[in-house]
Amino acid sequence: MGQCFSDVNGGKQAVGGVATAAASGPNDAVDHFFRARGEHSLCTQIELSLSASKLLDLDYTSKSDPMAVVYMKRRDGKLEEIGRTEVILNSLDPTWIQKINITYQFEVVQTLILHVYDVDSKYHNLPVKMLKLQDQDFLGETTCAVSEVVTKRNRSLTLNLHNTNRIRGSGNKGTLTVRADEIVTSRNAIELKFRCSSLENKDTFSKSDPFLRISRASENGGYIPICKTEVVNNNLNPTWKPLFLTMQQFMSKENPLLIECFDFNTNGNHVLIGKVQKSVAEIEALHQSRACANLISPPSGFRHHEKVMKSQIFVDGFVEKQQYSFLDYISSGFELNFMVAVDFTASNGIPTSPNSLHYIDHSGRLNAYQQAIMEVGEVIQFYDSDRRFPAWGFGGKTPNGSISHCFNLNGSPTDFEVEGVEGIMAAYTSALHNVSLSGPTLFGQVINKAADIAGHSLSCNQAKYYVLLIITDGVVSDLQETINSVVKASDLPLSILIVGVGNADFKEMEILDADNGRRLESITGRVATRDIVQFVPMREVHAGQISVVQALLEELPSQFLSYMRCRDVKPLNVPQL
Amino acid sequence: MKDKTPPSQPIEVTVISGEGLLINRKPPTKNTVSVTVKTGPFLSCSTGVDPDGRSFPSWNERIVIDLPEQARFITVEARSGTGLIGSAAIPLTDFCGGCLPDGYLSFVSYRLRDATGEKNGILNLSIRVKGGGQSSGCAASFSKPSMGVPGAEAKPCAGVVTGIPVSYPY
Repeated sequence: MGQCFSDVNGGKQAVGGVATAAASGPNDAVDHFFRARGEHSLCTQIELSLSASKLLDLDYTSKSDPMAVVYMKRRDGKLEEIGRTEVILNSLDPTWIQKINITYQFEVVQTLILHVYDVDSKYHNLPVKMLKLQDQDFLGETTCAVSEVVTKRNRSLTLNLHNTNRIRGSGNKGTLTVRADEIVTSRNAIELKFRCSSLENKDTFSKSDPFLRISRASENGGYIPICKTEVVNNNLNPTWKPLFLTMQQFMSKENPLLIECFDFNTNGNHVLIGKVQKSVAEIEALHQSRACANLISPPSGFRHHEKVMKSQIFVDGFVEKQQYSFLDYISSGFELNFMVAVDFTASNGIPTSPNSLHYIDHSGRLNAYQQAIMEVGEVIQFYDSDRRFPAWGFGGKTPNGSISHCFNLNGSPTDFEVEGVEGIMAAYTSALHNVSLSGPTLFGQVINKAADIAGHSLSCNQAKYYVLLIITDGVVSDLQETINSVVKASDLPLSILIVGVGNADFKEMEILDADNGRRLESITGRVATRDIVQFVPMREVHAGQISVVQALLEELPSQFLSYMRCRDVKPLNVPQL
Repeated sequence: MKDKTPPSQPIEVTVISGEGLLINRKPPTKNTVSVTVKTGPFLSCSTGVDPDGRSFPSWNERIVIDLPEQARFITVEARSGTGLIGSAAIPLTDFCGGCLPDGYLSFVSYRLRDATGEKNGILNLSIRVKGGGQSSGCAASFSKPSMGVPGAEAKPCAGVVTGIPVSYPY
């Protein structure tokens, strides 16, 4: 318990399996490293199992010999083959054994295209990889998103196969069933408690503010950071909060890990105090024998070699645990419910002017608001079973003449929901005609409304998690009021994503993000339980780069997990781990 | 005459940890920091002392205490020995009533203020009302906001409060 809480000072949050959302400040080595190399801290390996039924029979003397090929649609629209099954002889209802492995990414829509071929008997002795697909008989194709598969109760989705004008005749082409299973190692985790003694003082006027960073050895000889502890202030004998390492992160118990102890500096130049290299198995041995390891200090000054220090590191806790993964919850019926709030303040500019942030370009180019709605909505819609999304506007003057800071985007006086992402877009476009832009920029009412909905859902069950997307062009006018609302909502199943559009200076908004480590405090003295706000300014994204909105979405699974694990909420109807 | 004790329901408070606690501007000595939970003038219960912590103690200790029906808030006080580090008043509405279901486990954190009203650390707790069924013991002052039309917002208190915090409707 207690993993919900973050420490007080700058950028000092722990990054581990159950910790609060990873700090994404400009100097965070872990996050930057992952983004630069395309590795994601919470990526999950899943394997797809395919089967089909009632396939077309194209062979005259016997039945078809089917094989399935799986493609992923890339960002540029091209198809990339990710795997093939084996060929099953003489069957119109094959269940293929060969699994296809893919990496599940929450923050993007991963579109799969599946083709089924009938392999001619003259190729039956060739390895499947070498088969030329254009020489085979095409039986049908289908498409789906990976998230559609993993959100199904039994993680299994059955799709109809289609004609693509390559097959003569119409009629039933059969069905294809895709099942996704998580590779089991994503559930294994180890809870580690570290302590150090006699650390060297690297600060001039006070003591060091130490934190640990753990990295694993990579194939090309370097080290990849996998997690870090929180910062303990002004302490040369620190004890850190427990750290969670998942098997995915450390790979195997024999894999050498590098544990580095740094002194935290607010300017980001953390000074290395000492380091030690141990595998998970060696860390386990240290814990069991209650021994300690000495840190090794880097070369410094005139000394060009490393030196064993008097500083020691102890392993006070080593517990192997099984944790339910994000997909365990999702496929058991947990949902992410999407809500959106759009800024109708005058600073956006009159919608009819091409310079306005609300300008609707009829050639089809989306404005910043539409882009943000699409990018977030398209990903989250699969995790919402009824696709009915609450949508509000704030800061605008409604047709009845009064300025509202939480009006229904669809114009209805009572119903705040719209259907699907296309429903949000339609409501937004029509609201631009009916609502005149006004001000000021206040988030409080919208956040209270979202918190109200999230809180009420708890009476029915605890299987819904809400995501409020606020798109704004300006800095919030009443920061303390907004903070009060966020603090009140911080113990609810709610995450707030704020996207800043336009060119305003959003520096003040980063206070809401609490990534600098300062927990938000309401005027009543209550402090936020967890960091539920993520803020990102939306700037022009160059082709190929990771979109900033994707970066926002990456944090959601871990925010969801930290809420569920903290309360010991388990997936529905799953066997005990 | 037999005194009729007013009805009450038990609440379960788990005192989890503290952050940034100081006494006389210095971290408290080891093995002295404890927390007292008070739900009424004569109802209080304390945790044990944390052996290691000092400024960042952790207890993870569960306290079950009665909550009188007319109570509006509970108080938590952190002490180092006999010296008061700081206290906070927790309104009932923060952990029960309103939109929260019965028996909901609330994780809450509060700013502690010392005797002079200065900020002095944060206390992390979880609270659950154990009583059967009704939230009659909770002074629920939530009102459902109307949809679409803006509701009148109460002005927030601008000053520092060390006594009873004002709870205001959404």
